[in-house]
Amino acid sequence: FLCDAEKDFIVSLASMSAKERIKAIQKLPETMTKKREIRNKVLNEITKQWRHRGAEPSCWTQSVQGAGVSFRRFGNTISEYFHLLQMWHKALKIIGAEFGTSVLSYFVFLRWLLYFNIFSFLINFGFITVPQFLAAEPNNLSFTGLELLTGAGYFQQTVLYYGFYTNATISKIENGPSYNMQLAYIFTVGIYFVICFLILLFSMAKSFCRNFLNPEAYTVRASKLLCTWDFHITNEKAVKLKQKNLSTQIKEDLTEVNREVIDFSVMQRILRLAVHLLAWVACLGAAVAACTGVYFLSINNLKLFMKGHRNYLESQAAMLVLPVVASLLNTLIPFFFSWLGHLERFQTPGQHIYVTITRNIILKMSIVGILCYYWLNVVATSESQCWETLVGQDIYRLVLVDFIFCLLGSFFGEFLRRIIGTTIYVSLGLPEFDIARNVLDLIYAQTLTWIGILFSPLLPGIQMIAFFIVFSVKEVSLLRNCQPPCKVWRTAQMKTSFMFLLFCPSFLGVLSVIGVTVWRLKPSEGCGPFRGLPSMYAAVSEWIRILQSYTASKWVVWIYHNLITSELFFFILSSIVLIVTYLYWQIIQGRKTMTKLLHNQINN
Amino acid sequence: MGNKQTVFTQEQLDAYQDCTFFTRKEILRLFYRYRDLAPQLVPLDYTNKPAVTLPYELIGSMPELKDNPFRQRIAEVFSEHGDGSMTLDDFLDMFSVLSEMAPRDLKAYYAFKIYDFNNDDYICKSDLEKTVNKLTRNELTPEEVSLACEKVIYEADVDNDGKLSLEDFQHMIVRAPDFL
Repeated sequence: FLCDAEKDFIVSLASMSAKERIKAIQKLPETMTKKREIRNKVLNEITKQWRHRGAEPSCWTQSVQGAGVSFRRFGNTISEYFHLLQMWHKALKIIGAEFGTSVLSYFVFLRWLLYFNIFSFLINFGFITVPQFLAAEPNNLSFTGLELLTGAGYFQQTVLYYGFYTNATISKIENGPSYNMQLAYIFTVGIYFVICFLILLFSMAKSFCRNFLNPEAYTVRASKLLCTWDFHITNEKAVKLKQKNLSTQIKEDLTEVNREVIDFSVMQRILRLAVHLLAWVACLGAAVAACTGVYFLSINNLKLFMKGHRNYLESQAAMLVLPVVASLLNTLIPFFFSWLGHLERFQTPGQHIYVTITRNIILKMSIVGILCYYWLNVVATSESQCWETLVGQDIYRLVLVDFIFCLLGSFFGEFLRRIIGTTIYVSLGLPEFDIARNVLDLIYAQTLTWIGILFSPLLPGIQMIAFFIVFSVKEVSLLRNCQPPCKVWRTAQMKTSFMFLLFCPSFLGVLSVIGVTVWRLKPSEGCGPFRGLPSMYAAVSEWIRILQSYTASKWVVWIYHNLITSELFFFILSSIVLIVTYLYWQIIQGRKTMTKLLHNQINN
Repeated sequence: MGNKQTVFTQEQLDAYQDCTFFTRKEILRLFYRYRDLAPQLVPLDYTNKPAVTLPYELIGSMPELKDNPFRQRIAEVFSEHGDGSMTLDDFLDMFSVLSEMAPRDLKAYYAFKIYDFNNDDYICKSDLEKTVNKLTRNELTPEEVSLACEKVIYEADVDNDGKLSLEDFQHMIVRAPDFL
């Protein structure tokens, strides 16, 4: 017996498209038997509706339905195989089960960055390297194994670096289709960065929307109780830890030892402020000192390089000093920061985490910044033969040494620490996986890779291999050496913060460096696809000038002059974006007032 | 397309694919997991829809559930008779809702039912106390548990009736991005 509401529901389901109907049935909070019943009723309703439309013989409708069903089955099989393409699906499930979603978020982030590198490598290889192979010059340098570490020597004359690429228009057949290497190079790199920008922007916006929308304090305690149980965990030890942690939190909440409520006297507040200020000054001082050290070391390096090669081995070793020092600074100074963080007493553990992350990111980005300054101002204007290749080699060495330090960090930080924690100092126990430090290392490595794409097109391929190895090593190390995290970690907020850090100092910084290189710097005379031009961007302006003489491509020229290079267009675009943002903000304010009014209405 | 299997008819598989979030392969894999719990009770041929129910003890011993403090409630919510024993339909339903492909509102609905121990469609104070005890493994004293529950109701109860209805609960979930 159907009641009216159910009948209406079935009729509305029957009128939807197949995909929407399946989604609606899947989302019903009913038992499987009921769902199956509803599904069968809906299918009957659909056949009834077909018959009502009339004039169609039943075998035609049946065959159409049958075709629809088999098409859906085909689509399902395809999506099954597509799921297999998602790498490490099983490993991620195991990590999530044993350690919870906070540690899982690091590995998901690593896999996401890996996808960026795979995409970049594929398009660079396809559009830039493969055509270069057709027009390659012979390489008469010898290969010694040391090149893998230093990136110089034999590799200098290979497709690894900018300097090897030709500036010619490649064509194999006479009067056949030609391939303009200059345009290919600049457009491939440009389009890749535009796509990355859009992907990062949309992911960040989506994540921000979901996770930061309403951190109203009044539901914090209730949601802590009812919403933070991590149903992913199936490991008994992890479950016990989480329970202990939750009970400690509830006890703290009840006794209200929460530092926020305690009133400090004026004297104490000034003292705390002074301590915080001192700590910040110390951190910024350490960062500035590190940057100065790196700068002078690199200037020294350049002088040595320009003076000439004394001993081959010695000069190769000298080239490695800068990356090793940079990585050492990146590894050791954060320990200093965390020691300082323990000295100052923060009001909440959340504040502590955010301040530590901010200081670390300031350190890493300033080291990258000073290196970029050195490359763009000193190396580019030096009298070296091919400064882009030099920069590419520097970045290659930095990436490689950072990778080695990452593996070493895992070895010392987790493996040795476990050995010490279980045999010598048993009170220390097993190490925990340090999520923040590892994620910041990933962001640093990816920033270097993005900067290096212009100077060494195959660098994403190397970083891709490095990330593969890092994932496997970290996964094994995690499962064997670490224990599940004790502290509460607001995963969703952290995920958003990490994506934001990847976008804001890292990617935007990379965009500005690439922008300065393409627009302002003079490419070297003797090598690379842009030799002889006043700037890399001049290739595009040249091309537009050539296009102007063809009538068929006048629209391209029009777009270029009136949309891309015109300031008025960008002004109008920015104003529109600002107006839309303001409108949305007003809508949100209006909705907030509405919610408050409704809330009061329900209460009374 | 795909391997020939003899466990279900094609219509049954289609129905399962339409009603759960699983693909064909996953449904078959889950069937074999279900069967592994009690190979002598579960037949290999489901084409004539045998009425087989596995008792709660077998379900609760699955590695995915055995350490979950709410496993009994989960089994009770999804079981047809409300006592934790499950047919294959209930089994597939349970894992479909617990999988990562289920939307949050569906999970929130079932989470509400799981926390509602006395099945009266409201989470009252005694339900909350039982929840807190399960979450903290009886580490808190009864006074602390009672105080914590009062605070939760005070904060989350929108319509001020002293207990949490489904709407209050969903209202809270929307603001909690960490809900899994």
